[in-house]
Amino acid sequence: MTDSQPEYVSVTLELDTSWRYASGDPMDQFLRRVAQRRIEALRCPDCGRRYLPPRPFCGRCRVPMDEWVPVADTGTVVAWTVVHLPIIDGRTGEPRPSPYGMALIQLDGADTTLNHYLDTADPELLTIGARVRAVWREHQRGAMDDIIHFEVLP
Amino acid sequence: MNPVAVVGTGQTNHAKARPDVSQPELIREAVDAALIDAELTSADIDAVVISNMELFEGRALPELWVAEGAYGAGKPVFKVATGGTSGTSSCIAGFHQAGSGSFDTVLVVGFEKHSEGHTQTGMALVDPFWDRAVASGALGNFALSISQYMAERGVTEEHAAQVAVKARRNAASNPHAHLKMPDLTVDDVLNSRMLAEPLHLLDMCPQSDGAAAIVVASGNNARKRGSKAAWVHAAATRHDQPYLGDLDRRLITTRALSSAAASAYAQAGIADPLRDFDVAEIYEPASYAELAWYEALGFCNDGEAGRLIGTGVTSMDGELPVNPSGGVLSTNPVGASGVIRVAEASAQLLDRAGDRQVAGAKTALSTGYGVYAWSDVIVLRSEMP
Amino acid sequence: MADAVGRQRREVAVLGGAEIVIVPEDSRSIPEMVLEAVEGALHDAAVQWVSVDAIVTASVDLFDGMTASSIAVTEVVGAVMKPETRIAADGLAAAIHAVHQIAARAYSTVLVVAHGKASMAPHWDLTEWAMDPVYLQPLGVDFLTIAGLQANLMAESNRVGRNAPLGDGACAVVLSGSVPSGAAVITGTGHDLDAHYPGDRDLSTWSGLQRAAGRAYKKAGVSDPATAFAVAEPSCMFPHEEDLFVEATAIEQTTPLSPSGGLMEGTAPIVSGLTRLLAAARAIQGHPGRRALAHGAWGPAGQGHAVAIVEAT
Repeated sequence: MTDSQPEYVSVTLELDTSWRYASGDPMDQFLRRVAQRRIEALRCPDCGRRYLPPRPFCGRCRVPMDEWVPVADTGTVVAWTVVHLPIIDGRTGEPRPSPYGMALIQLDGADTTLNHYLDTADPELLTIGARVRAVWREHQRGAMDDIIHFEVLP
Repeated sequence: MNPVAVVGTGQTNHAKARPDVSQPELIREAVDAALIDAELTSADIDAVVISNMELFEGRALPELWVAEGAYGAGKPVFKVATGGTSGTSSCIAGFHQAGSGSFDTVLVVGFEKHSEGHTQTGMALVDPFWDRAVASGALGNFALSISQYMAERGVTEEHAAQVAVKARRNAASNPHAHLKMPDLTVDDVLNSRMLAEPLHLLDMCPQSDGAAAIVVASGNNARKRGSKAAWVHAAATRHDQPYLGDLDRRLITTRALSSAAASAYAQAGIADPLRDFDVAEIYEPASYAELAWYEALGFCNDGEAGRLIGTGVTSMDGELPVNPSGGVLSTNPVGASGVIRVAEASAQLLDRAGDRQVAGAKTALSTGYGVYAWSDVIVLRSEMP
Repeated sequence: MADAVGRQRREVAVLGGAEIVIVPEDSRSIPEMVLEAVEGALHDAAVQWVSVDAIVTASVDLFDGMTASSIAVTEVVGAVMKPETRIAADGLAAAIHAVHQIAARAYSTVLVVAHGKASMAPHWDLTEWAMDPVYLQPLGVDFLTIAGLQANLMAESNRVGRNAPLGDGACAVVLSGSVPSGAAVITGTGHDLDAHYPGDRDLSTWSGLQRAAGRAYKKAGVSDPATAFAVAEPSCMFPHEEDLFVEATAIEQTTPLSPSGGLMEGTAPIVSGLTRLLAAARAIQGHPGRRALAHGAWGPAGQGHAVAIVEAT
């Protein structure tokens, strides 16, 4: 005798919408420089913290920020992982090679860390403290994925 | 804060999917159970607070439709939503309403029906200019933080697996829990699919359909009733900066949780958490998080979390049972998960926790966690403040 | 039903507030817009950041296109290492919650902030996702539809017309249990959620507002609303709603409604009710004993309502 599951009536609705997000002045300036392969952070006049991403206000000191400081496209890995879940490259629409390495990178000149991809998924090569350098796409459009990933330096 | 108390709790039987009920009906199950537990009827409820992360179900203002499940029509109702802390924040909002003098009895109900939405899409709707461009998602983000935590505090994959085993075995005694695995072993966890180093599948919380409710009474009302109550002795909340990279080694520094705990402990007169608490229900989205919370909450010194789990201090028969319910690791309807922490801690003090009861529990801790580091810390006692 | 427990226990002062100019499309980001409102509010209230004990924000994730949408404003509302609660409803509901927090003696000074940008996405289309997904949403019903139903029901009213222009805005108000002399104080609040299905409601009236106002009147000790208010600040998206407002609140028919400009001059989702609270406080400030009624609404054809009574001391 089979135990049949009752069939439940359901309704399927599909949400298909888009939003116009305003980047804000700090992010706008920041991304324009990224399009030129330049990275700059905003520095809080009170605590001196250099923020990526830039934002109009230091949340810790509760003061506006407008001082830009240069940041290198090299840095140090402060955290890493190898992700085994599939992901689509938002730029190309193609799946990224999986598994892929990701890290929190302290770029030279910034106090916050940047979450980005690594060029290797080999845990043997991934250590906290490893030095990395950005690998830029041939054509920038002013977005954080203008950097394809960071290569781990020997 | 004016005294208030939790006088009843209720939950659904949480599951991967509940196709047998609509969202309002899911709420109704938890609410009816809470009202029965509190020995009240819906007419006794003066206000309702709803907790839900509606974007996961693709909704807006869901309380408009679902409040009926909480007998909310014609009553003061609104929704609180603060990411993973929605549930605990809603409970605290309920405490504030019940303590305001405007309401004798407030119902707080949290729910989520992940099976009716697309959680991944909801999770992908993060900051469009920064977080979305380079998305590793909540899982990858947590794994990153874990690498720092392991390096600095010396916990191992085995320690984390022990947490996962404790959770799912505890859940086997909880009729409401989603994942019940009474025979789970450390090897099972370590051999489960790797998601993001070092997180295995069984180190992670599930997504569940479920609802949980608590009934909060004003101090006057709770005293008049004369029955058992779980009195709120402290409720503290801390939010933090919006980007993962803003936080320095978040599982180590635990700024928001440590600050909230310090405030709550001071309010409630907690000097030695391991000794002063009889039971704790803490919000652990992953096994490693529980280890980090042991240190942040002062159950042990930094670097000793592995020892704590390894020597059974936080097991059901240990000095401080942590998550007798099975925790978020066993059951995770996001909007309800925080309410479940408070409901479970309250049930322990009301002596209604069934097979997962910690005998003679008089002081309980519940915490909430969400986004990158938002934290709620609540201290409950069987005695009035 | 146990309803309203008596007089409001603790007076809550509206120390000050600010709103940004509402425009059809604000080119700034949400944090930038909110920062202007918050800095303006703190300045108006003569309150320092350090004195703010807690923050209550109002925003809706689907409208902002962001999960946990209050994360966008955490820094600019001063919520880093502080308690913040986000109410996903009209900003006046957030203010009412802050009043409860102060009355409960959880906090003393609370900053209330609301924001909404209708320009981000077709607003009325998004409200479809707030309608019952089985019975109403598949019919393409949204808030505009139900408002239309309600307008047609009001046969006597010739006041069917275009809705208030919806744009981008932000508003912030500072509330405190420490009441300076001469401050405008909130003496009573009430909120209510009506039934959701149009068929379960009497759409010819705003019964939810009647209940919300009743709760506020009881707490404020207002026994005769017809003589109690010098001015009212309603949140009416449509002209016909003003008749509904007057009837449900039972205020004097000739009471000035938003004399310094109301929603019809332009408003933003979620922000409306909080701007009414600010307008109400400003309308009576400096006239001891004078009272104003502030109103917020959300949902289809006023399913949800919030009311605050402000009195000048």
